[in-house]
Amino acid sequence: MKQKVDVLQGTLALMVLKTLDVLGPLHGYGIARRIEQISGDVLAVNQGTLYPVLLKLEQEGAIASEWGASENNRKARFYRLTREGRKQLQVETQDWEQTAAIVGRFFEIKAEDLT
Amino acid sequence: MTSLRRFLTRLFNSLTRREQDERLREEIEEHIALQTEENLRRGLSPIEARRQAMLRFGGVEAMKQDYRAERGLPLIENLLHDVRFALRLLRKSPSFTAVAILTLAMGIGANAAIFTLVRGVLLKPLVNRDEDRLIYIRQSAPGMRDENTTFSVPEIQDLHASVKSLSAFGDFSTISFTVIGLGEPREANAGVVSGSYFDVMGLHPVLGRLVGPQDDGPKAAGVVVLTYRFWSNTLKRDPSVIGRTVHLGGLGDRSATIIGVLEPCVPYPQDTEIIANVVTSPHHLSATMVTGRVHRMTELFARLAPGSTLEQARAELRSVYATMKKDHPDAYSKQADFQISAKLLRDQITSGARTVLLLLLAASALVFIIACSNVANLILARTVRREGELAVRTALGASRGALRRMLLAESLLLCGAGATVSVMGAQPMVAILARYASRFSVRALDLTVDSSLLWVGTALAIVAAVILAFVPRLPSADTSNGLSLSSGSVRITGGTSRRQRIFVVMQIAASFVLLAGASMLITTLITLQRTRTGLDTRHVLAINAPAMSYGKTHQQVVDFYREVIRRVEALPGVNKTAFGMIAPWRDSGSGPRLQFSADGHIRAPGEEDPRAQFRVISPGFFAALGVPIIAGRDFNELDGQSKETVAIISETLAQRMFPNQDPINRHVYWTDPVLKVTGGQTAEPLQRIIGVAADIDDIHVVPEPTLTIYHTFEQGPLFRGRLFIHTSADPYSLVTPVTRIIRDMSADQPVEHAATLEDIRAEVLTPDRLNSLVFGVFASVALSIAVVGVAGVLAFLNLASGWRLDRSRSVS
Repeated sequence: MKQKVDVLQGTLALMVLKTLDVLGPLHGYGIARRIEQISGDVLAVNQGTLYPVLLKLEQEGAIASEWGASENNRKARFYRLTREGRKQLQVETQDWEQTAAIVGRFFEIKAEDLT
Repeated sequence: MTSLRRFLTRLFNSLTRREQDERLREEIEEHIALQTEENLRRGLSPIEARRQAMLRFGGVEAMKQDYRAERGLPLIENLLHDVRFALRLLRKSPSFTAVAILTLAMGIGANAAIFTLVRGVLLKPLVNRDEDRLIYIRQSAPGMRDENTTFSVPEIQDLHASVKSLSAFGDFSTISFTVIGLGEPREANAGVVSGSYFDVMGLHPVLGRLVGPQDDGPKAAGVVVLTYRFWSNTLKRDPSVIGRTVHLGGLGDRSATIIGVLEPCVPYPQDTEIIANVVTSPHHLSATMVTGRVHRMTELFARLAPGSTLEQARAELRSVYATMKKDHPDAYSKQADFQISAKLLRDQITSGARTVLLLLLAASALVFIIACSNVANLILARTVRREGELAVRTALGASRGALRRMLLAESLLLCGAGATVSVMGAQPMVAILARYASRFSVRALDLTVDSSLLWVGTALAIVAAVILAFVPRLPSADTSNGLSLSSGSVRITGGTSRRQRIFVVMQIAASFVLLAGASMLITTLITLQRTRTGLDTRHVLAINAPAMSYGKTHQQVVDFYREVIRRVEALPGVNKTAFGMIAPWRDSGSGPRLQFSADGHIRAPGEEDPRAQFRVISPGFFAALGVPIIAGRDFNELDGQSKETVAIISETLAQRMFPNQDPINRHVYWTDPVLKVTGGQTAEPLQRIIGVAADIDDIHVVPEPTLTIYHTFEQGPLFRGRLFIHTSADPYSLVTPVTRIIRDMSADQPVEHAATLEDIRAEVLTPDRLNSLVFGVFASVALSIAVVGVAGVLAFLNLASGWRLDRSRSVS
């Protein structure tokens, strides 16, 4: 069994936003599956932990939700990105890229570069 | 902005909780259904498919808690939830709840009430202006066993002239006046003060004005200020008393105008009814008073001068006082060891109550500990039964914090209920305690229940609740050490029973401390009550009928008392009636103790003359009190007609001054320097001893050997004045006829405070009785709490071991 990486709360929110941005409205299960697929199952959310994050995002106004019918015609709650969420995603993407770039540069540095 | 929105959403969510829970439940269901379907598609069996889906989803309970934490306002919501849950649990075990609440109520109530008392008596500042600069100065003579000799006028003048660190002095002397013109004629405790007194004390009038500098001197008009207590209790707050003229009798007779009512304040040194200016007391203007350095009868108060400290004032007082002693060696005998001290008035007032109150506080703290231990034990016992429940909750993902919160909610409920009950019961308790404490400090008289009671109650309840919530052990992750689910339902872990043992030991130890204290006090009380006084206390009625000497010759006053005695003795049931100076025990301390000598007595070098009680009595006094005359005879009417002065001495005095000799017809004489100044009162210095009577110790409740010299009222000075009536009938049935007889002869004569000697003694013993009562109540409360608690724990332990037996039997 592969060792699965724990997902940090903050990055999970970012992944949710990005997933909704790319794929449009989705229910909770769909979001969970998508995140697992994209990460190639390396990143496995304990699927339950997704719901508190969804709720938090909804309360912040980044996403909205409504009841709809799932593919097999069951009642399901669909989440979609709001305009505010899109803005938040942009800001957070930039932040993330910045952070990633800085951390990346630290990894590339060799001892002789610093002399 | 976002956070505000989140808060509002959360608040809204809190209110629509049920709906929200429903939504979450449906979402989870949907999620798991979808996952199951997918698993089915991958070829898993239906059961396995669902199991995998559930595993994948993770802990539902933990997630729900996270979800709830995100959703509402978790702190309040959880608390409400916990409180609701605790309420349900407590309702299920009403006897546990009732015992716990009552126990806590006793613990909290006792502490809150005592604390109110301590605060009111010890901690609250006095009403006097700038009370932290108000000083009380005291002169004492440990060598004479006199802890408060008070000051004489020349002494006060010396201090006034030399001490610079004190800016103002106020003097106050206690005197008893017969007051005529305010209801019944009465003998009132009064203060005589100079014009600076009220300003130094920093007190204000609530009505009219107070005595001021314009009221000083022999030419001023007599003025009287009423104390608030007297005005409100006896005069029913009648504002029209201002301007009324009253007659102040006693040794003199002056009229005085009531000019004001003093604000409520702590009466010190004595609880007086009226305070008058110096001119109302002729004695205060006499040469005796003004020039006699040893004629001490004035209490002294002072204000610290700006910039000086109490320490500086003390040092200066001591040095000035040392000079005074050097300048007047006659007035300060070496043996008496005169000393001066200064304290903040507040400290002086509370000094008497401090020990008693702190002891009480300690006792109530013990009760609190016992109460908490007891409830802790009960809770432990319950927790053991709930081990299963707690273990299940842990397994379901409840965090340790959540479990603690649950326990805390439960103990908060218990303690809150206990505090409520106790605060409701505290008001009467404080009233009773205040009456009790007023025996030790006059401040307690004005005690009121305020919000501090509530705060203390609440604080104690919270303290108790937190302690109690942390008493039970929680199931720990390390199952070998804590509680385990596997054991089924009940198992006592080592830790729990050890804790229980600690609490039981603590309770029993604390109640034994209280019991020991109480039993000691009770033993003392029993000893005091059983002590033989040598007087026929049960059959003697004492009535205050003070001598009204003004405008009458000595013989007229004596004749008045003779006639009263004759008429009272004619009443049926009366065996003997006599005049005495003071009532035993009640008036103790007011009779003078003076130096004397006897013929043939030789002082050792450096030794001073012994002191004896000075008492003036009528013939028949010893018979009326049931005291035997051991040698010689009693006074008779002929003694008054002879020129020779005669005396009766007490047995101890006879033994000490005339060892192995016959004292009859020997002589004693007063040598005290006070009499040199006063002069004249005992005209003949030599007094022939005509009799020896058994000791009467009218000062101590437990009699001690007493030196007393008695004079017949025909020859001695007349002041104070009590009638002693020995009867075989019910003593109190005589009060009305005796009062009528005296009033018929003199309408202005006060006739007050009738009581049998036994009741007077009981009255004096009241503080002791109250001490043992209060501590006894504390001890029995503590003991009953401990007994209930220990019995409960034992019952529980038996039950638990019974269960264990059952289980082992079923295994075998």
